[in-house]
Amino acid sequence: MAYSVSIMTTQTLSRFSFLNSARGWLIPLALLLVWEIMSRQSAENAYAFASIEQIYHGLIEVISTGELQQGIAASLQRAFFGLLIGGFFGFTVGAVMAQWRVADVLIGPLYHMLRQVPLMGLVPLFSLWLGNGDPSKLVVVCLSAFYPLVLATYESLHQVEGKYREVGDVLKLSRTRTFIKILLPAALPNIFTGVSFALAFAWLATIGSEILFSAGAGLGNIMMNAQAASRMDILIILTALIGLLGFLMNYLINQVGKYLFRWRNLR
Amino acid sequence: MSIGVRVALGINQADPTFRRRSRLRLAAFISPIAFLLLWTWVTKIELFSPQLLVSPFVVLQAFHELLDSGELWEHLSISLSRLGIGFLIGASSGLLFGILMALSKRVEGFFSPVFQAVRQVPSIALIPIFILLFGIDEIFKIAIVTKAAFFTVALASYEATKGVSRNYFEVAQAYKLPTYTLYTKIVIPAILPPVLTGFRIAFSRSWTILVAAELLAADSGLGHMMQMGREVFRIDIVMVGVVLTGLIGFGIDRIFKWGEANLIPWRTA
Repeated sequence: MAYSVSIMTTQTLSRFSFLNSARGWLIPLALLLVWEIMSRQSAENAYAFASIEQIYHGLIEVISTGELQQGIAASLQRAFFGLLIGGFFGFTVGAVMAQWRVADVLIGPLYHMLRQVPLMGLVPLFSLWLGNGDPSKLVVVCLSAFYPLVLATYESLHQVEGKYREVGDVLKLSRTRTFIKILLPAALPNIFTGVSFALAFAWLATIGSEILFSAGAGLGNIMMNAQAASRMDILIILTALIGLLGFLMNYLINQVGKYLFRWRNLR
Repeated sequence: MSIGVRVALGINQADPTFRRRSRLRLAAFISPIAFLLLWTWVTKIELFSPQLLVSPFVVLQAFHELLDSGELWEHLSISLSRLGIGFLIGASSGLLFGILMALSKRVEGFFSPVFQAVRQVPSIALIPIFILLFGIDEIFKIAIVTKAAFFTVALASYEATKGVSRNYFEVAQAYKLPTYTLYTKIVIPAILPPVLTGFRIAFSRSWTILVAAELLAADSGLGHMMQMGREVFRIDIVMVGVVLTGLIGFGIDRIFKWGEANLIPWRTA
């Protein structure tokens, strides 16, 4: 009985799945329609709601001037280097804290104290110290990748099961060799999860810092210029693009993780 | 708690050495104190120009000044009320929406694609659009906080409700529980722990985004105070702002943490 019911439901589901996916398109299409109608209502509305035609022309415009390509390159580069530098230091600090008690006691409280300040709250400070340009942005992005990786590395190394450590003791491995041969491989999948979070934070910080620091190139800077010029069409293109790029990066790093850690069935 | 949640909240589950041993508890203060001493020393020998770095005492003095003039209270209360209103609207509607989307196939079919698509856009990237749509008044700041809180809480409550074991629903069916009891006795207690964690994450995101919004476009609030300090090169005011934003974020996170520990006695993790 239960068996036939389950078959029934899967059949009905498959028969109506196109309906279900059609449902998903309904709301976006309705929103688009309302948007389009609003944009055609009056001149005042046309300024806040860019019509689809306007958006299309805006897209052509930013591509033909090369502004968009330049912005994408600058933002991606910033996110990547920020992740690399901040992530490297984060990993090092996390590993040192997990390995040496003295470092744990000394660095831990300081880390948690400094981490409390929202990153964007540090922007005025950095702008006084490093100016309004690329160095400040890079520092913010580095910090955004640094904080999560310290924690992920520290936590992942602590979570390695005691029996693995005991193997190291039995084989009389030195601390360094235990770390390289046993602890690190065991903790790596979890640390990688930390990296994927750090990437998401780095992307967020990249856009945020570009919005808040006015000098230099980047998607955020293009957006602020477009906002100053009341160009809703360009803003919509860029906002959608930022979401898309973030989604793609997240997808990419998850695929890389699946490939790298295919020997682990934990992920 | 998954490693992701812990990373988002900055929680050490692996107990640091100093928390395990009471003898070492005081050791936790070594590095913050050393940090303050180093800071004071560096300003004393004027390693950096006083325009770039002032001693902790000057920061404290600026704090007193701002407090006495009443300026600080004004900025603080405005920031907190924006945060409170935006968070309340966003979190409560997100909670309802998330639960509804998880329980009703129809709502899920209609809204989940839009929800998942908009979720990909970081709140901070929406600031320019929001400024164009809502202007730079109160509505803009409350709207951006609401957005940040809504999506985080909605996702948390959606996933939590999806995660409620089917067995519970079957038991409810077997006992012919009325829908009301099903929710109050089963669904809500089951999703409470992950949802509260979602509240915590949503809160810290809302606070960050509010500070950013106030830095960009505001005539009041803590972010605006820092921005003004930056424009007139008053590094002491900027630092008061930095310390305060950190303290407020930390303080409210503690309240949520207390809530997690005390409102959910059956919580194991």
